[in-house]
Amino acid sequence: MPLLTVERLKKSYRRGLFGQTTTVLNDLNFTVQSGSITGFLGANGAGKTTTMRCILDLDFADEGEVRFFGSKLDLAAKAKIGFLPEHPYFYRHLSGVEFLEFYANLSRAWKPGVLRDRIQYLLKRVDLEFAQHRQLASYSKGMLQKIGVAQALIHEPELVILDEPMSGLDPDGRFAISEIIRDISKGGQTVFFSTHLLHDTEKICNELVMIRAGKQVFQGRIDLLLRADNAPFELLWHGGGQAKTEVLPSEAELQVRLSKILSEGGAIVEIRRAKVSLEEVFVRLAMRESET
Amino acid sequence: MRVIWILAKTTFKEVIRDRILYALLLFALMLIGLSLALGQLSFAEQERITFNFGLSAIHLASVVLSIFIGSTLVFKEIDKRTILTILVRPLTRTQFVLGKALGLTLLILTMILGLSSVLALVLWGLGVKIPLVYVVILLGLFGESLVLLGLTLLLAMVLRPILVVCVTGGLFLIGHWQGSLNYFAEKDPAGALPYIAAITRYGLPNLERLNWKDLVLYQQDIVWFDKISDLGYGVAWALFCVSVAALLFKRKDVS
Repeated sequence: MPLLTVERLKKSYRRGLFGQTTTVLNDLNFTVQSGSITGFLGANGAGKTTTMRCILDLDFADEGEVRFFGSKLDLAAKAKIGFLPEHPYFYRHLSGVEFLEFYANLSRAWKPGVLRDRIQYLLKRVDLEFAQHRQLASYSKGMLQKIGVAQALIHEPELVILDEPMSGLDPDGRFAISEIIRDISKGGQTVFFSTHLLHDTEKICNELVMIRAGKQVFQGRIDLLLRADNAPFELLWHGGGQAKTEVLPSEAELQVRLSKILSEGGAIVEIRRAKVSLEEVFVRLAMRESET
Repeated sequence: MRVIWILAKTTFKEVIRDRILYALLLFALMLIGLSLALGQLSFAEQERITFNFGLSAIHLASVVLSIFIGSTLVFKEIDKRTILTILVRPLTRTQFVLGKALGLTLLILTMILGLSSVLALVLWGLGVKIPLVYVVILLGLFGESLVLLGLTLLLAMVLRPILVVCVTGGLFLIGHWQGSLNYFAEKDPAGALPYIAAITRYGLPNLERLNWKDLVLYQQDIVWFDKISDLGYGVAWALFCVSVAALLFKRKDVS
């Protein structure tokens, strides 16, 4: 069941009073399935952040429809969503504990006694117990990102939306955040996060939505995309006393070649389909879209 | 109501921990101190000079706080993107604006109470009995601050902070000069002045209605009905501005 459905989303911005209108989202469609870790992939400026803001009613789309849990984004739906924006800034003068209390209370999530335990649990989970009473003004970028993730989780949301959660972090920070995302998913929550970091997407996600210039160019399971997307075949065969390896770009060519080898008395040892990287697929899809 | 209160508390906490507020408070305290010094220079009017100068310091501090903090209250949230994580919580945009306005109102009230306590101590040190009119004048100052806060919040929905400060500063001056404007309009009925006076009379708040310092200057009696209706006038203006601000904010992109 899709937790989030986006249909024909359009958004344009006008720069300045008499400035030019720029179309950022152009008939964007996609869904996020329950229980998945869905990566929202696109180059810088593709419209990822605008999409996030439009679906959450932070900016208002010109056209299109967005449904969370089957209905419009009302207060009941908001109570089931956790969100971390890109490069988050928070109230600098609040301590870590005060900050999480504030968001929990806004979400009407916990009774005071239970809330204290929940905050301690989350601070431990994001490894910030040591800084819980320090003001956020003294937090590093990685620490802010972690406390940001904690605020997104404080009310145990069904759907966690993260906008570029790993952007600008060092490798340690990226690893920590990706571990947290995996943990969230293991707990049965759905994660939808935007990124332009292909390596992280490939490692963490099981579903993928790819956009280019505000349009969806792919939606589906990432393993199928990487396996089926015209990956070449590696053929290992034995003939004339020698082992030979060939690379064939398509299934049709593979079939022709197999028939020939067998008819000439050769023996097939192994057929392997090479795994393409997400980077190759991304570039190919982006190029295909720009040609059309 | 609970959500509005949570937002108000956090706004209060956030601003009260800001260094800018302390700079403003220090400035106001220095002015109150100066009022004592100026009073001592006078031969016979020490009490009145200290009283007037001290009240002016509180007035100035409350006006500056309303305009400067009010102008950046929502803008800063958008600029710093703190608003993004708040608006996705189960609350409406109207609740957000009301929470912010209530937080700053509490802050202005706290500041007026704090500074007026200092002034009261100074007056007590001088052996002056604090009259009831002192409290009434402070109530007027608070009412005026509410109107200015409402205006800044409203203007902040469509203008950048620097422009909000300039325009609200202008409205503050017009608000206090409406009496003079009406006087000159009566003297010159043929010109454009009567029209301008009419526009300002009906379209802008008359802040002189909340300036009750004359009660001390002319030693007038307090007419409670007038004071309550003037305060109601100020509160109505503030509520009107905050309501329009909330209405504008309902469909505002926050990026």
